[in-house]
Amino acid sequence: MLFVLLCCASLLVGARQLSWAQLLSGSSEAWLTLTASRLPRLAALVLTGVGLSVCGVILQQIVRNKFVEPATSGGLDAAKLGILISLTLMPGVGAVGKMLFALTFCFAASVLYVSIIRRIQFKNTVLVPVVGLMYGSVLSAIAEFYAYRNNILQNMQGWLLGDFSRIVQGNYEIIYLILPIVALTYLYAQRFSVLGMGEGMATSLGLNYGATAALGLMLVAVTVSATVITVGAIPFVGLVVPNLVAMHYGENLRRTLPIVALCGATLLLACDIAGRLLIYPFEVPIGLTAGGAGGLLFLALLIWKNK
Amino acid sequence: MMRLPTRPAIWPPLLILLALAATFVFWSSGFDFDYVIPKRLARLAAIVTGGVCVAFSSILFQTIAGNRILTPAVMGYEAVYLLLQALLILAMGTQALVVVSQINNFFLSIAFMLAYSWAIHRWLLRDRKNNVYFLLLLGLVLSMVIGTFTQFVQLRISPGEFSILQGYSYTSFNRAQPMQLLYSGLLVAAACVWAWKTLPVLDVLSLGRDQATSLGVSYRRYVQFYLSLIALLVAVSTSLLGPTAFMGIFVANITYALAGSVRHRITLPLGCAIAIAIFLLAQLLVEHVFNYKTTVSILVNLVCGAYFLALMVRKQGRA
Repeated sequence: MLFVLLCCASLLVGARQLSWAQLLSGSSEAWLTLTASRLPRLAALVLTGVGLSVCGVILQQIVRNKFVEPATSGGLDAAKLGILISLTLMPGVGAVGKMLFALTFCFAASVLYVSIIRRIQFKNTVLVPVVGLMYGSVLSAIAEFYAYRNNILQNMQGWLLGDFSRIVQGNYEIIYLILPIVALTYLYAQRFSVLGMGEGMATSLGLNYGATAALGLMLVAVTVSATVITVGAIPFVGLVVPNLVAMHYGENLRRTLPIVALCGATLLLACDIAGRLLIYPFEVPIGLTAGGAGGLLFLALLIWKNK
Repeated sequence: MMRLPTRPAIWPPLLILLALAATFVFWSSGFDFDYVIPKRLARLAAIVTGGVCVAFSSILFQTIAGNRILTPAVMGYEAVYLLLQALLILAMGTQALVVVSQINNFFLSIAFMLAYSWAIHRWLLRDRKNNVYFLLLLGLVLSMVIGTFTQFVQLRISPGEFSILQGYSYTSFNRAQPMQLLYSGLLVAAACVWAWKTLPVLDVLSLGRDQATSLGVSYRRYVQFYLSLIALLVAVSTSLLGPTAFMGIFVANITYALAGSVRHRITLPLGCAIAIAIFLLAQLLVEHVFNYKTTVSILVNLVCGAYFLALMVRKQGRA
């Protein structure tokens, strides 16, 4: 039922965009240039939504906590720090080089975070994201410290915020990295499910725990750094979507992963369209709309779950 | 745990504080009494007022909330203040600074924050059975959401107005005007005297609702009283210094550790001393070690954030 509804919503969103494009093309005859900027935007939106929500699923399985995602585990902040350092150390390096830096930092930070969480064995589920948020704010304080010394604080605040308006043909293709990631995740879905049962259980079921967890963190790091470089940071998507899906469809990853991906894309599309319509001739960056909507949903989720 | 305090030793902290303040005022000033020293004295006054605000508001809030991890800053008070400022500027443009005088603005923010603190108390702090970390997560996410609304408002205003607003969102000791300093100082002093007079009640409140009521304290009335006091203090400190984020937690917990007592007669003054000392140290570092290549808020975030992280990890390890 909900699935059909969401499908309709996503179709509607797509249709609206299509009709908009046609309208503009009819009046200004700039069909080609329009699709060159509008279609990439659509692709980037869908891919980012899919990637971020799948990321959330993987992280939640590894940490075994429902409230974890790149924004609440320091991953986003670490990726920002990585880009920052690559900007100052090697200003000439291209998107791929920046991506590698962001990837390394994000991966290292995630590994550290997971090992902290596993070492302490929290009994309290809410503490895990709290520690992650604090960890992230310490990382971003380091980034700010560094940026302030190099006078690039303002520049940093520019790409700190998720924004799809910069997407045009030629500078967003790195986002397609998300496609193989999602395929790989789907392939390994069963293993990630087993991972979520804990180390002992997973090992006794014949799973190489360390390797699978490392693979999962690697997938997350690739996705996060690709989105941060092309779009910017978008918080809470990876947290809200998997939770909402799990409430309705349970935890069988092989079955729910496509739904999660679809819902993530739908949420981002909706947020993006809202952002474009809110102050019409201008745009609200998606980091704000998605952050606001996702944050409110997260709050509702928290209160609902705690009741 | 409750070691009976003898006469608290007030001299060591006071001496350290005086030494720090003297260093701050006189270090490489060339004893220039016309310009450098008055400027520094103004900053010192801002630091003292702000430090007192942070310490009092955090410790009072923790007493009422009954735990040592929540502070007004993490529960979104500062975010609400910034949102209000952004809305004011959006509604009235830069004239807001002229039409709404600083004093009116100040009272408006206090009213707004009172409403917020009342709502928070009504919904979240009502029963202590609520999990602390749950409240903390709620507060952090709430601050982030309010922050995005503020950013959204910032999108709607012109660049000139934006730069004014941007100035609000960093901790700094330079923005306070002498008149504002005077008013804030008086207000804070009045609030502190008021709180000081009811010290025994505070100690009783820290026992929890049931105990306090059975000991003859009108729980509800006093909690409302202290919440309004906290709203006032946070409004003062945020308008004077900007957001201080995790500073409150840091100050309060160090205070508890050093005081070895939970009596507010000891913790409140000690907390003030610690807060002022930390601000002074940070400002000294920024001025003389980092040569203005960093800001107080970045330093405070870095150190206090790391401390907070360590505190939670360790606490959970013990429990």
